[in-house]
Amino acid sequence: MHASRSTRSSPPWLSLSLLFVLFFALPLVGLVWRASTDGDVAEALTATRTVEALRLSLFTATLTTALAVVLGTPLAYLLATRESAASRLLATLLELPLVLPPAVAGIALLTAFGRAGILGDPLEAAGVSLSFTTAAVVMAQLFVAAPYYLRAAYGGFASTDPRYEAVAATLGLSPWRVFRDVALPLARPALVGGLILCWARALGELGATLLFAGSLPGRTQTMPLAIISAFESSDGLAGAVSIAVVLLAFAAVLLVALNWLARARGPYG
Amino acid sequence: MTAPPTTPRGLHVDIEARAGDFLLHTSFEAGDELVVLYGHSGAGKTLTLSTIAGLTRPHRGRIDLAGRTLFDATSGVDLPPRDRRVGYVVQVPALFPHLDVRRNVLIGVERSPEAQARFEALSALLGIEDLAARRPHELSGGQQQRVALARALVRPTDVLLLDEPFSALDESLRADLRSELLRIRREYGVPIVFVTHDLREAHLLADRVAVLDRGRVLQFAPRDEVFRHPASRRVAALTGTHNLFEGHIEGDRVLVAGLPLRFEGASSPGGDVDVAIRAERCNLRRFDPEGDLPENCFVASITAELAFGNTHTLTLEPEGPGPAIEVEVASRPYEVLGIRERRRWVVELPAADLHVMPRMPVEPPAGL
Repeated sequence: MHASRSTRSSPPWLSLSLLFVLFFALPLVGLVWRASTDGDVAEALTATRTVEALRLSLFTATLTTALAVVLGTPLAYLLATRESAASRLLATLLELPLVLPPAVAGIALLTAFGRAGILGDPLEAAGVSLSFTTAAVVMAQLFVAAPYYLRAAYGGFASTDPRYEAVAATLGLSPWRVFRDVALPLARPALVGGLILCWARALGELGATLLFAGSLPGRTQTMPLAIISAFESSDGLAGAVSIAVVLLAFAAVLLVALNWLARARGPYG
Repeated sequence: MTAPPTTPRGLHVDIEARAGDFLLHTSFEAGDELVVLYGHSGAGKTLTLSTIAGLTRPHRGRIDLAGRTLFDATSGVDLPPRDRRVGYVVQVPALFPHLDVRRNVLIGVERSPEAQARFEALSALLGIEDLAARRPHELSGGQQQRVALARALVRPTDVLLLDEPFSALDESLRADLRSELLRIRREYGVPIVFVTHDLREAHLLADRVAVLDRGRVLQFAPRDEVFRHPASRRVAALTGTHNLFEGHIEGDRVLVAGLPLRFEGASSPGGDVDVAIRAERCNLRRFDPEGDLPENCFVASITAELAFGNTHTLTLEPEGPGPAIEVEVASRPYEVLGIRERRRWVVELPAADLHVMPRMPVEPPAGL
């Protein structure tokens, strides 16, 4: 009796779990601590560069997520409901950016849409230049982050019992209404989960954006790029932590809000 | 294979469909009646319903319903599911979890006072009046299946396709819903195609039975015909006949395990035959050492016995010529005859119940 109780009260994995939690908590604590001693959060919050970077980050990450949802939901639905060798291959292809280093993604985007890329000449002829534009930032984020949404949405649609949609079709619903009124609500929890992941990944995007869009304050310099830029300046770590803490705060608030939204009305609200 | 339907009403199916390696070739019809598609799992029952509902496309054949062609491979007609006027209920109720009962039932219907009235009438018929505002997860399994039935019936429906709709329910609930289904059938007069692998359910509900095996209809006939006069040894086995023997026709008798037996019905082509008799059709008589054995009788001893509550299944081994046989006796005669005390009995195989069929190869070829 005593033995079993003592093992239950202090299982060996408890200390392991505690160590793991500390691994995550310590850097966050460190960030806040350094920002409050070394940095100047108030100044960072009012500095034009930070404000611009923050606004750009929130704008691009949200736009990226919206594009991923609008373009990705129908695609994921098609891939999940039209099972074939081709659709499986395509699904794998679309997940490739998940395992690709973002730097590779940035270079790949340059070879396609850059001035010397595949579409370089046609784009130039049309008078479109993507370099150092906010559009390029969104493209970089979309390339890297949308696969998170696609993967979650694909899983959500694929794991829905196909009999729901079969029955719905016999009930007089058009394919569009089957999608809107049955498939979409049933996959909602997966879609919301994917949306949060996509948004978070877009907010943190650095490598692909740097290579493809550059780091131009006000136009392509998102928060992560601003942090790198501050770190490399004369201010060093002190300048970087202030901006980092601001980003951390915004990310935390938004993550909590999104998770609350996802849970608020239950899985089938 | 069959001529184009001459009657405009009812359902006529004659199709070939493929699902992976599986080849389905079904042909049957349903008028104003309940047709049971009976067979083991994997026989092609669900695939058949799915072609009628328009969810699986056959590669050959034709489906007509109430005078309309739903599918015709020759002319390229293939109505989408929403235009077929079929009600489809599957094994899991498949109620949309994000909608309440009312919205589940009315999802495919234009909002109108008529639709509302139809919903109220169906709710009353199925005893779900008080559940309109509930979500599926708040309902019991039986209630969910009632809602699914209401949903399938709320639109104008020319045939009701039911794919093992009660198999996930408790036996008592199943009994309730079966009698409810028979009531709905009377009320709506709509043809019903009912898929089941439950022999008792098939027997209880069916007007006609299509016995499906490995994608083929082995027999399509009125219920009693299928149960009493199976077309082949395989159909007999599938419909629960355990007493299956190889026989040989000699004159007007069939010789089974050395015992000549009189039988009725069409005289067989002669030669080798299969012989079937249902266990509940065999009689046991007291053994009288003095008297002569009557026709179609032989002496046997009980070697095994299973009690199922209201029936007893006995296995008997013959003393002389005659087959080893399974006999089912109801509890009352079991007690009256005193079967528990005696082991030696005279088994009678009534000529009227002895079913003689053309001999079938023991292992039918897969492509049969």
